[in-house]
Amino acid sequence: MLPQSGRRVNRVTILFTSLIAIGFLIATFDVRSESDDVGDVLREGTQSVFTPLQKGVDWVTAPVVGFVDGVANLAGLRDENDRLEARVRELEAEVRATDALEEQVVQLELINGLTIGEELSTVTARIYASGSTPFDNVRYIDKGSNDGVIAGQAVIDEDGLVGRVDLVSANDARIRLITDPAVSVGVRVQSTNETGIVTGRGDGPLRLEMYRASQPVREGALVVTDGSRYPPGLVIGSVARTAEAEVGFVLRTQVEPAANLSQVDYVKVIVGFSPIDAGLESDAGTTTPTTRSAATGDG
Amino acid sequence: MRRSRIVIALIVVVIAIVLQTTVFGAGRIQPLGVAPALVVLVLIGLAPYVEPEYHVLLGFTAGILVDLVGSGTLGLWAMSFTIVAFLAGRLRARYADSIVWSLVAAFTLTLVAQVVYVVVSTLFGQETLGEPNVVAKIVMPAVWNLVLAYPVFWILRYAYAPRDRSWAS
Repeated sequence: MLPQSGRRVNRVTILFTSLIAIGFLIATFDVRSESDDVGDVLREGTQSVFTPLQKGVDWVTAPVVGFVDGVANLAGLRDENDRLEARVRELEAEVRATDALEEQVVQLELINGLTIGEELSTVTARIYASGSTPFDNVRYIDKGSNDGVIAGQAVIDEDGLVGRVDLVSANDARIRLITDPAVSVGVRVQSTNETGIVTGRGDGPLRLEMYRASQPVREGALVVTDGSRYPPGLVIGSVARTAEAEVGFVLRTQVEPAANLSQVDYVKVIVGFSPIDAGLESDAGTTTPTTRSAATGDG
Repeated sequence: MRRSRIVIALIVVVIAIVLQTTVFGAGRIQPLGVAPALVVLVLIGLAPYVEPEYHVLLGFTAGILVDLVGSGTLGLWAMSFTIVAFLAGRLRARYADSIVWSLVAAFTLTLVAQVVYVVVSTLFGQETLGEPNVVAKIVMPAVWNLVLAYPVFWILRYAYAPRDRSWAS
């Protein structure tokens, strides 16, 4: 018995060591590879298997989950509170959107010959699944290339920018939230009209970096997209703490996202505004490691 | 080793991933903001029913699937889950017949899975360790797994040995 047991332990240990080495190689390959073609194919293939199961389970369990959520919400009081909070957020978003539009109008009027285009067309999508760990910042939506969705398009909700389209199949797509460290967005601070880059930190407030800031940014200042890749004026959030501009130094502060990313059920994909480098997005925009965030950045 | 045991184990892992991404997904059932780590829990719970070498392979497969469904670098959860499966295989004789040991294993190994992922992903250039709420993201899944361990392990025991009368029956 003993030799058999010993052989088994050895076999398990050798297998374990080999699998760790394989995992290490896969991770190294994923980080180092310039294109994500293989990874994307594998991800799309896996998701195509899981999508019907996820949609089915989501459809079946949605009422139960809603019931559990309702019970947890203290028999209606919290529901009412949520409803009112949502309404307040909606109104605040409208005010912010109006401010952003007014600012755009002023700027556009200053530029002769430019007119504001028609309202951007959007596709409403439902989120049916998310990543499987607390460290994932992705959501799966039930609209895909058949609905005009392509990689790189901006995804919004009633409060502001939620993320960008990452992987697309015919009827589904994956969106990467703005809190993902691989997502960078070119932004403009509305109060100073200066630009910078907002990058996700995995969770919570976003990191704002302004390389040519000449004025301080104040807490509460609205931060919107600068229009370089996403449509201009989309609300990102508000500055979380005041930061002073110093010559020769990068201004760094944090931005509280306007969208409540943990509670988003429905989103809109802006299909009327194609990313300026959609081709690049399909190659490099779906990167996962943070080391490639510069390549995927908006600014 | 009967093939049916491995097939059942794979089906259980797939079901766990589907439930993790839907019922326990963002905006759904996430008590205190973090969901239980269901995939790790079933991986730990499957250890007494699958031979150690197959269990290590199962851990790697489950990890790769979680990597593919998630947003991180491929291979990181695979490494983490492989380590958990290996440790669970070593401990399985202890917690197969003891409720206390099974609960301890559920908590500790979940913690190990989260910590290994955070450390390895940080080594691979992700900012996981610097994320806000990283401690909650490591500890809370282990706490919820401790709560869910008894019912999940009971279901697994029932799936593999419906007539077995031990601590869980």
